[in-house]
Amino acid sequence: MSSSEKYAPPAPPSDTVAALLAFTVLAVLIMPTLDVFGVIDHFTLNLWGKYLCYALLALSVNLLWGGTGLLSLGQGLFFALGGYMHGMYLMRMIGDQGQYHKPIPDFLVFLGWTELPGFWKPFESFSFAMLMVFLLPGVIAGIFGWLAFRSRIKGVYFSILTQALTYAGALIFFRNNTLMGGNNGFTDFKYELGFSLREPATQRGLFIATAAALIGVVIFLRWLEGTKFGLVQRAIRDGENRTLFSGYATPAFKLFLFVLAALIAAIGGALYVPQVGIINPSDMTPEKSLEAIVWVAVGGRGTLLGPILGAVFVNLLKSYATRAIPDLWLILLGGLFLLVVLFLPGGLVSLPSKLRGLWQKTTSTPATAA
Amino acid sequence: MAHPLLTVEDVSKTYDGFKAISNLNFYLFEGELRTVIGPNGAGKSTFFDLLTGRTQPDKGKIEFGTDPADSHDLTKLDEVAINRLGIGRKFQAPSVYAEHTVRENIILSLRGARGVFASLFHRLNSTDTDRIDELLKLIRLDAKGEWKAGLLAHGEKQWLEIGMLLAQEPRVLLVDEPAAGMTDEETHRTGELLLSLAGKHSLVVVEHDMTFVKQIAANGRVTVLHQGALLCEGKFDDVQADQRVREVYLGRGKHGTR
Amino acid sequence: MRKTFIIFLAFLAGFVAAFAEAPQAIIARAAVAKSEKTQGEILTELMGNADESILPLLDAWRKDRLFLYENPGKPTAVVLLEGAKDAQGAQQATDIVTGKPLAVRLVADDLNAATHSANLRRIMKAVLDLTDLSSANPAKKLGAIAAIGQGQQIEKLPALEKRLVVETDPKAIKALREALALVRLRSPDHAVKLAALKELESLESLASTDFLKTVMKDAAAAKDEKLLAAARSALQAVERHRTVVDFGGTLFRSLSLGSILIIVALGLAITFGLMGVINMAHGEMIAIGAYTTYVVQNLFANGLALSPFGFSVGLPGLHAAGWWRESYFLFALPLSFLVAAGAGILLERGVIRFLYRRPLESLLATWGVSLLLQQLLRLTFGANNVQVGSPAYLSGNWIVGDVLLGWNRVFVIGFATLIVVGVWLVLTRTSVGLLIRSVTQNRSMAACMGVRTERVNMLTFALGSGLAGLAGAFLSQIGNVGPSLGQSYVVDSFMVVVVGGVGDLVGTVISGLGIGSFDQFTQQYSPTVAGALANVPFVGGALQNLAQDSAVFGKILVLCVIILFLQWRPSGLFAARSRSLD
Repeated sequence: MSSSEKYAPPAPPSDTVAALLAFTVLAVLIMPTLDVFGVIDHFTLNLWGKYLCYALLALSVNLLWGGTGLLSLGQGLFFALGGYMHGMYLMRMIGDQGQYHKPIPDFLVFLGWTELPGFWKPFESFSFAMLMVFLLPGVIAGIFGWLAFRSRIKGVYFSILTQALTYAGALIFFRNNTLMGGNNGFTDFKYELGFSLREPATQRGLFIATAAALIGVVIFLRWLEGTKFGLVQRAIRDGENRTLFSGYATPAFKLFLFVLAALIAAIGGALYVPQVGIINPSDMTPEKSLEAIVWVAVGGRGTLLGPILGAVFVNLLKSYATRAIPDLWLILLGGLFLLVVLFLPGGLVSLPSKLRGLWQKTTSTPATAA
Repeated sequence: MAHPLLTVEDVSKTYDGFKAISNLNFYLFEGELRTVIGPNGAGKSTFFDLLTGRTQPDKGKIEFGTDPADSHDLTKLDEVAINRLGIGRKFQAPSVYAEHTVRENIILSLRGARGVFASLFHRLNSTDTDRIDELLKLIRLDAKGEWKAGLLAHGEKQWLEIGMLLAQEPRVLLVDEPAAGMTDEETHRTGELLLSLAGKHSLVVVEHDMTFVKQIAANGRVTVLHQGALLCEGKFDDVQADQRVREVYLGRGKHGTR
Repeated sequence: MRKTFIIFLAFLAGFVAAFAEAPQAIIARAAVAKSEKTQGEILTELMGNADESILPLLDAWRKDRLFLYENPGKPTAVVLLEGAKDAQGAQQATDIVTGKPLAVRLVADDLNAATHSANLRRIMKAVLDLTDLSSANPAKKLGAIAAIGQGQQIEKLPALEKRLVVETDPKAIKALREALALVRLRSPDHAVKLAALKELESLESLASTDFLKTVMKDAAAAKDEKLLAAARSALQAVERHRTVVDFGGTLFRSLSLGSILIIVALGLAITFGLMGVINMAHGEMIAIGAYTTYVVQNLFANGLALSPFGFSVGLPGLHAAGWWRESYFLFALPLSFLVAAGAGILLERGVIRFLYRRPLESLLATWGVSLLLQQLLRLTFGANNVQVGSPAYLSGNWIVGDVLLGWNRVFVIGFATLIVVGVWLVLTRTSVGLLIRSVTQNRSMAACMGVRTERVNMLTFALGSGLAGLAGAFLSQIGNVGPSLGQSYVVDSFMVVVVGGVGDLVGTVISGLGIGSFDQFTQQYSPTVAGALANVPFVGGALQNLAQDSAVFGKILVLCVIILFLQWRPSGLFAARSRSLD
């Protein structure tokens, strides 16, 4: 392991490790315990579970944008697909306890179906649904990425095409005839693996699972950064053509990363659905994906801590602002984003060093260009 | 006479009606150090672009390999495949990975694992580390191994890029203006380095600095390009004495459209 | 045959009688007739009479307002009661035959209204339908003709024939021939039927499809080979014609959708071409242009009350009327351009100029601006759509060879042509254009030659945003105006720019038209291919399901084709070539 340490990025790793450790303790142990003893209410824990799912989406965006220089404006698609795949299982678990008390989901009854459509049938199996959580986003990312990268689509073009991709996804899922719940998507879930989703204990379990998934992903990404692969990834970000002329088939690297990022987003989406209790096509609209970009930008791209911090911070702000000042929330979001892009390209995580720099009146390190 | 390692025959390339290269013939033999000179717009960079698969010729033949029965058609291959065949290129503007350390720049260029999964599980062994240290010493950056490459001086970046090229252990080195931005002393040392590589590797060096050209072309041949075509080829002194070459360089001093 | 002839003669007689006697007199005669049967026969005389007095009288009859005044010693008069009631409830009575008021005032309750049975009402309706045949209003006339044809009302055949003799309007003549042929399909006479089929074939009557199919079915049942062949031949001609018409219509809609795409994407293409900046706030620039039009319209009318952030602002109106009020659009156009251009300059000076050479950041920053602007618009003008009245000249249409050409679409195409030509002139014939082009081609060279590239950036952004403003003014005429108006067009306009490539007007035009056509043609023909798609292995069912929703299918197919297109041309149709490494 010591020799591969040479690939590690120059940033001091101890900070991240310490932060990770602190976070692990906080998320996996302290918060659920506080919940058990009623110090924080179930709603709060649930809310934080949602934030952690968003953090996974943010990490997915960051892996591409911060790590590889690929700004995908469509990661929300993979998040939502992951959610939908898990959602299909949860819909089946409602059984005949829906509004219409029929053995098929309510929206199908509403559309005049009496029998379950073929492609719904395997989703009664939890393991099949989990397989699909990875398979569907992975395959879509694979096909799109293969086409995009082999023709060397990059920069702004890549961003716009990914935006169009998620837009197309939203269009398909908004249709009733797609048989995925149309406009309203899936909701009214009742059981997960036999546990009632209304039980605080189930929600607590889901929270811990989310925190564990997040920690697992962070550790994996941290490992990835330290490999030669990580070195190539950053080389692609800083000078893709140079990398090509060094004999690295960058399209293959980018495809791997794009699929990986899609899978991370899908995990987030799959965990999001049982905790938030709803998934619908609005989660696929380009605006949602752009919101995830805001989290990463605000937190600090190119780091592992930044995106998590950003996702939690911006969503805390959103929860507060959409209640307190609903009219001004979008202005706040747009303004915050604008300020960060213009004046704090390194995001919140760069704030301490920036302040230190100002304090010492030395020239700060040049901002990392795209 | 042996079969050339690099065969370029009757190659033309046009950009938007502008003839960057026209009917060019060029042969490079194993172990040779060839110097290519020519005024701006003579087509030197396009020539390298064609050799490395960055662009494809409109017509003509570009082949690699001393065995005619087993040579590679470079016009059909992309940058990556050509690089993997053993043709390395140093760019005119120094292009190093600015955010990586000097050492990492070399590691990235080191001959070996290039695939996605290979690089995921790749470890440096002691031969690799030795080779890295050796290269760093050669390009005199051993003290700055942990520096970010972006922080190096212009001349040092040039050296680093030469080091990266060497790390790939290519059969052919395409070197574009290696001496630009170097002091006289650095330039001279660069020349010595390139000369020492000849024989073991084959080199094509594009250069403007005539003192430098004189140094590296002492034993080799010089090719003069003008307006995308071969103007003349021969020993340095002959080329320098050639009336047409003098005209091109002094007479019109024409600037290209680049 | 003989019977038909007699019926025909009877109708003819009716016509003669009708033209001899005033319609008021006929109605009066019918109203006082003793039996319902006689009443019906008398009313039938009115068939085909175009007199305008018939409608109000029959209407009054049907609504029990046609009264019988039994004046002792004189024949019963048929009267209408009009005017204000006096103290006794009496009104002025008018004899419908003479049209003159009677000397006495009458009370409605004292009189008997003319009776009407269901059968009689049916005859009245038929009379009124035929009245429309001669209506001075062409649309009404055509509608009435078509209704008879579609209903195959054989009893109205003589009326149609009569009308055909005197009709001069070529459109109406064609409609009459079509209706006649359709009605004659029900004729018991074989020869008449065959002639009607021939006529329909030569007319290529689109409306006849279902009737032809019925004829074919009946003919097949009756084993009538000759009739079957004629009907089949007619149907084939009609279907051929339908294909042509559908194609023409799709082509026209393609052109108009393509024009919309060009209009909304043009400004974006210019800023992207020059500065490499994708302006995500482009949609809001469009919205700004649309709202400017809205404000101008209200200023010409009754003014506008706004309450941005709770402050009440009242804008006085000019209370213009007539053509002066309709002309507001002429003022709104330049103003939309200027307001949006101003916003563009602010955006460039305030945000984008700090982000040159960082295209992804500028994309994101402009998205932030887009959020801000959207919300500002919402807070100023409200979250709901506002109505911009579109002028009357946009609601009509032309029909050329059965292809419907809506004026709003014609307007779209004309507008796009004007804008493209205008921009082309600006770029090629003005000094600003020269500067813009020089900077687009080689920024540093232009800077060396003394071009103040900063200023050119500003001008370019102003031009691009101004064009978005024009697009907004234009979109306000063909749809609603809301804070997210631009959002519905941004993804499409990005696609146009991606396909068109940068730095070339021609690329944007071709790409806009191409995407527009592709979208429309897919929509037109996706139901046709849906069946074939089912055969695709593995995903066939899903594809077929999707293809049934032609609008969504069209959009998704456009995206797929764009991605495939970029395999072939990664930088769009007209790529700007660069020699640098990155």
